[in-house]
Amino acid sequence: MKGYKGFVLARCNVGAKQEKSRSLGKGGYEMNQIKKIVQSKQMVTFAWIIGLVAVWEIIASYVEKTKRTPDNVLPHLYQIVESVFSPDLVNGSQTAIQIVLSNAGITLFRAAIGFVIGTAIGFLLALLMNMFTAAEKIAFPYLMIIQMIPILGMAPIVLAITKDIDTSRIVIAAILTFYPVATNTLAGFKSVEKEKHELMYSLAARKRDIYKKLLIPSCMPYFFTGLKISAPMAITASILVDTLQGGGGLGCMLSQSLKHAMTIYVFWQIVFVGAIIGILSYALMTLLERLVSPNKKAKR
Amino acid sequence: MNKKKHRKITKDSVTSVLYPLLFGAVIVVLWQTQILHKILGTDTFVLPLPDRIFTIIGDNMGAIMENVKATVIVSLGGLILGSALGYLLGMIAMAFPKWGAGGLTVVSAFNAVPIIAIAPILNNLTKDFSEDANTRSMIAKTLVVTITCTVAMSINAFRGFTELKPFSLDLMKSYAANKATIFFKLRVPNSLPYVFTALRVSVPASIISALVSEYFAEYIIGVGRQIRENIVLAQYATAWAYIVVACAIGIVLYLILLFAEGILLKNRRPRWKSV
Amino acid sequence: MVGMKNTNDMDNSYLNNDMSATGEIGSEITIENLSIQFPDKDGGAPVVALQNVNLEIKPGEFITLVGPSGCGKTTLLRTIADLQQPTTGSVNIRGKSPREIRKEKKFGIVFQNPVLYDWRTVRRNVCMPMELMGIPKKERTARVTKMLELVGLYDFGTKYPHELSGGMQQRVGIARALAIRPEILLMDEPFSALDEFTKEKLHVDLLRIWSKTKKTIIFVTHNISEAVLLSDRVVVLSPHPGRVSAIVDIDLERPRGLEIKDTDKFNALVSKVRNSFEGV
Repeated sequence: MKGYKGFVLARCNVGAKQEKSRSLGKGGYEMNQIKKIVQSKQMVTFAWIIGLVAVWEIIASYVEKTKRTPDNVLPHLYQIVESVFSPDLVNGSQTAIQIVLSNAGITLFRAAIGFVIGTAIGFLLALLMNMFTAAEKIAFPYLMIIQMIPILGMAPIVLAITKDIDTSRIVIAAILTFYPVATNTLAGFKSVEKEKHELMYSLAARKRDIYKKLLIPSCMPYFFTGLKISAPMAITASILVDTLQGGGGLGCMLSQSLKHAMTIYVFWQIVFVGAIIGILSYALMTLLERLVSPNKKAKR
Repeated sequence: MNKKKHRKITKDSVTSVLYPLLFGAVIVVLWQTQILHKILGTDTFVLPLPDRIFTIIGDNMGAIMENVKATVIVSLGGLILGSALGYLLGMIAMAFPKWGAGGLTVVSAFNAVPIIAIAPILNNLTKDFSEDANTRSMIAKTLVVTITCTVAMSINAFRGFTELKPFSLDLMKSYAANKATIFFKLRVPNSLPYVFTALRVSVPASIISALVSEYFAEYIIGVGRQIRENIVLAQYATAWAYIVVACAIGIVLYLILLFAEGILLKNRRPRWKSV
Repeated sequence: MVGMKNTNDMDNSYLNNDMSATGEIGSEITIENLSIQFPDKDGGAPVVALQNVNLEIKPGEFITLVGPSGCGKTTLLRTIADLQQPTTGSVNIRGKSPREIRKEKKFGIVFQNPVLYDWRTVRRNVCMPMELMGIPKKERTARVTKMLELVGLYDFGTKYPHELSGGMQQRVGIARALAIRPEILLMDEPFSALDEFTKEKLHVDLLRIWSKTKKTIIFVTHNISEAVLLSDRVVVLSPHPGRVSAIVDIDLERPRGLEIKDTDKFNALVSKVRNSFEGV
């Protein structure tokens, strides 16, 4: 019944639209449609991207004319795209894009492990801090300190202590992840309005139930904010650790390419792939959030 | 449920300071007595004792300060430039809201791009800006930091300009205020807390960016670079000295930020302290 | 174990369509010499929220606490609910302390703000207190349906709170409070945030629900007309210090409809209540 009604209404609306645009003159309807598309939000973002591409190309053209090895400085975008499809073997067994993608997989995998561990620790810490005031008091200043000190800068020393590149990668990714997750989740716990607590109190709810039914569901939006912040950071950390030592991974390929052990286009491809992975990780977290909290209607 | 809050506040603030201090003292003791080394499975070569670290700091103050200067100039310079630029971008986005919002979406995508990728690009781009290797590197590094800070500030500034309390804009319009007046008397003061939100993120980020971009720079200077170089040379004690220094820079700058925030945001609606 | 016993009774009563068959007719409440003081934050004289309140509330009575801000009406309600401790004096609910009643989960609270969980549907929101009591799923589902019918939201069970209007959300709050078959329903300015039209509709609904379920209802409001329309008795409180100024019997006939607001008797009672306030 609803469907039929909707269908009828839609037909009426279309009729109305055509009526209106008929008064605008011939082709008015189509103009309206085009105008609508042009003014939409996606169009704006698209326009910006076109703008950036244009700026890049302009700089690249300038570079081409003035530098000896323009490829090293800023190649044209189409050159980069070209290199992606080029079948030339770069290091004897793989093409440029193959190297980039396979190493991307390695880096991502390692980042993911650290990310998951960091998330788990962060969430548990927030839970502990919320349950025990003593834990909160102890942890709070140290959390602040972790925010203040440059963890990424300490990457070399973590490597030296753990002596194992994979462990150090996981440790750093975990540290970088657990801070945003912990602070955001804790903020989520604390954001629960007083009346909700009072309702639980008036029902003499057990602590276990309060957490399960109220606090944990409430903190989900905040938890995901933390995830969205830390996912790209975990990837950055993983790439950085790659640069410190051999053993594959995007960062390793990046420094090799910079030192001209292989074509510079590997470097450029890594730049873009790295950017894309970072943005995708953010998008992945957003997707996860939609799966977990299907009732989210607006941006938080 | 409403217990007496009065007395509890004093005891509360004492334990807030005491507990973490005790915890920190415990860690330092574990460190100095090398129990920490046993836990982590490492030795005093890689993880030197605190007293040795501080001795080295004391002995090498001159060299250390040179590097500190280089790092701080880069990070503060980038911070100021980036924040100013970001604020400006926020203003532009506010003036043309439709384009602004879309533009800022693109800008925030930069957040997801690893700085590892940006640093080398900028290094190469700025190669010709100066004859002197040191200056070239400074410029490149500062640019990296600038980009990081611009992103954070522009998004927050835009929010600060546009997330006004309901009806405050209507109030101004009812006084027939023009756009400039509205901007200076309403939007700018409203944006101040958001500016500090951005700074809370960009101050630590500027230090990290500075340190990381030092790795890729041409000229070997800076606290971050020294950490790396000393580790490569297996001079762990010196590396740790620089790590401590790096942490100190981070803490000092952040405390300055908190202090400034306390002064400039005084008397505003206090942040809701949870019960 | 308590939950188990009640379940069997609930089943029968549901089949009999009779809400009060299990003896959950509201209890009587005795308040003796209740005083509540809050220490002043800056070390000055303590704030006297309530002073020497004496009140006896009969089982199944609809009683309203009325007064301006600062008169202690909300404090009094919260004390009955065990959300606030007396400084001196006592509150007794059929011989037991509020804490014991609370632990028995015999309170139903409705706040001014609906306080719904926005990650749960309407049905699951109404379910939530029953989950805490360990009531089995089949019984829960049956009760939720009954409650939603009672408040007139049967078709909205699968909606999320943000899809409902303020008045509808508040009705969900009422359904949720009633679902656990409380003895006492405590309502703290539940309709203050709603517009006049919604308010009137909810008044009619609430009167209908109360006549069907016979709970003791303690209602707090600053709206005199609302108080007179709904209650058996109106307790008038005045501030500085918070105290009972008068208790006005509302001897209007039941069932009451909105048209009673036009009668002289109604308006006389409203005036009587208004004139009972002291020193505002």
